[in-house]
Amino acid sequence: MDKKYIFIKRFWLPVALFFIAIILPFVVSEFWVHVFNEILILGLFAAAFNLVFGYMGQLSFGQAAYYGIGAYTTGLLMVKLQWPLFACLPVSMLTAGIGALILGYFCVKLRGIYFAILTMAFGQLVFFIIFQWYSFTGGDNGLQGINPPEWLFKAIPYYYFSLAVVTIGMIILYFITESPFGYTLRAIRDNTERTEFIGINVQRYMLINFVISGMFCGLAGALWGPFNRSVAPDLCGWQHSGHPVFMAVMGGPHHFLGPMIGSVIFTFLNAFVTGFTEYWPLVSGLVIIVVVLVMPGGVFGIIKEKGYFSPRDVGDVKNE
Amino acid sequence: MNDDIILQTDHLSKSFFKYQVLTDVNYQLMRGMIAAIIGPNGAGKSTFFNLVTGYHTVSGGNVFFKGQEITNWARHKIAKIGITRAFQVSNIYPKLTTYENVRQSILAQQKRTLNLFIPAERLAKQETLDLLEITGLSGFRNTEAGILSQGDKKKLELALALASKPDLLLLDEPTAGMSSEETHETMQLVKRLNKEIGLTILFTEHDISVIFGYAQKLSVLHQGILVAEGTPEEVRQNKEAQACYLGEEI
Ligand SMILES: Nc1ncnc2c1ncn2[C@@H]1O[C@H](COP(=O)(O)OP(=O)(O)O)[C@@H](O)[C@H]1O
Ligand SMILES: [Mg+2]
Repeated sequence: MDKKYIFIKRFWLPVALFFIAIILPFVVSEFWVHVFNEILILGLFAAAFNLVFGYMGQLSFGQAAYYGIGAYTTGLLMVKLQWPLFACLPVSMLTAGIGALILGYFCVKLRGIYFAILTMAFGQLVFFIIFQWYSFTGGDNGLQGINPPEWLFKAIPYYYFSLAVVTIGMIILYFITESPFGYTLRAIRDNTERTEFIGINVQRYMLINFVISGMFCGLAGALWGPFNRSVAPDLCGWQHSGHPVFMAVMGGPHHFLGPMIGSVIFTFLNAFVTGFTEYWPLVSGLVIIVVVLVMPGGVFGIIKEKGYFSPRDVGDVKNE
Repeated sequence: MNDDIILQTDHLSKSFFKYQVLTDVNYQLMRGMIAAIIGPNGAGKSTFFNLVTGYHTVSGGNVFFKGQEITNWARHKIAKIGITRAFQVSNIYPKLTTYENVRQSILAQQKRTLNLFIPAERLAKQETLDLLEITGLSGFRNTEAGILSQGDKKKLELALALASKPDLLLLDEPTAGMSSEETHETMQLVKRLNKEIGLTILFTEHDISVIFGYAQKLSVLHQGILVAEGTPEEVRQNKEAQACYLGEEI
């Protein structure tokens, strides 16, 4: 097959989405720019979560802990030490990664429901530490006045800033999922036992992946503080850990863009529905039920079944 | 210890709860051999493989590989040091394609699985295609492994084990579910690998013609006890071995 054709077939969708994202602020009101900014940030969060869920096959119900660590790292550095936002982003990834390394060390010893419960318990642990540590984190008051620099202060510039960071983050995540490491995650998901017998230290790979996921959750969190001008402990709470789960399930955990699409649906609906009614949880619950019943595999599951994406053809590897 | 001994077990035993499944198995395998462990169903053949490869923890005794004790090592370490296996019940990656299955094992052997940034599809192409070719799976490279026939799954099972470039290959009923033609092809391949690269092979098998056609050494396991050992001819004459195969001509 023609190389160019393969390239187009594989990348038309993300490229199209990227251009739509660039054009959006010209055609929608400021309110919706905010909503789309949220979609981007939560989409990155969900894509990072999906490394553990869709690729490695373990459900983490505590990724908000690392999102929160990232958000608080940036918040604290900007408010208490007046660090520039740019410098805060990598440091947030680092602290979130360290958090994921320490807590993940214990989680990766478990599988399935036990893994899910321990990640959730650790998520709540992080929540309570931040909640209780008044002098440092501001406790349940959170941190206020996390202001982005002058040139990013308005909605549209910050949106473009998020778009740039999220795009870079997504590209890195994409490369990881297509790398030998990414395929090793799929192998672990598909058959953990067999993976040990081909000489792979499964726990070690699970931990590395957990740390990578935590780092990108942290990056998403770091974008959130300056976007929202504040952070609060419930960013780390288990409800917030549930959001990427919904998004990945809705969009399709077995497609790289699934979680981002899930974020579009979830966040958009959220903004839309809360305009009419306070029963957002009810609506989101119904949507989840419909998705799970009508389209297992999420939006991308449906599209794939209908044949818009054919399985990757390796028939020509010899001639390339 | 003799340098030519690749695998040795001393008083190797296994019990599940109170059931003694393997009792004091003293086994030695010379480098470069094709050997078989035979015995009726439930004799403990798979359990022996499971102990050597770390699938089950050893209840008693020791396992040595090239003179080094490997008793109860982690599974991935045993694989890395040079013992790999094909499972009796095929144990593959059902959602990955046949090609991706084999590539995964090759990438692991090449120690490239920690690589985060080069697309996997650019790596190990020729090696993967070659291995698919010699195991007779070329026609199925784009097929999801989960929907392969039993026989083809067993071939893939073999390919996954071979991809690790082991020094000792354990095959647990490698031809179960294959047609007689496929069985012959597979065993020819095993024999060729033994001849050409000196791979040591230990297998279990039900098919008498395969056992006597390919093994240079036979060990008879009965109710977890090693009851007879020797060349196929010696075992054929052995009273105890015959007793295990009561009614069956061996
Ligand atoms: N995981 C296990 N738990 C309990 N019993 C087992 C287990 N694996 C094997 N056994 C028992 O050990 C005995 C030997 O089994 P196995 O090694 O599979 O025999 P073979 O491969 O020679 O047919 C059988 O009686 C079997 O029921
Ligand atoms: Mg068996």
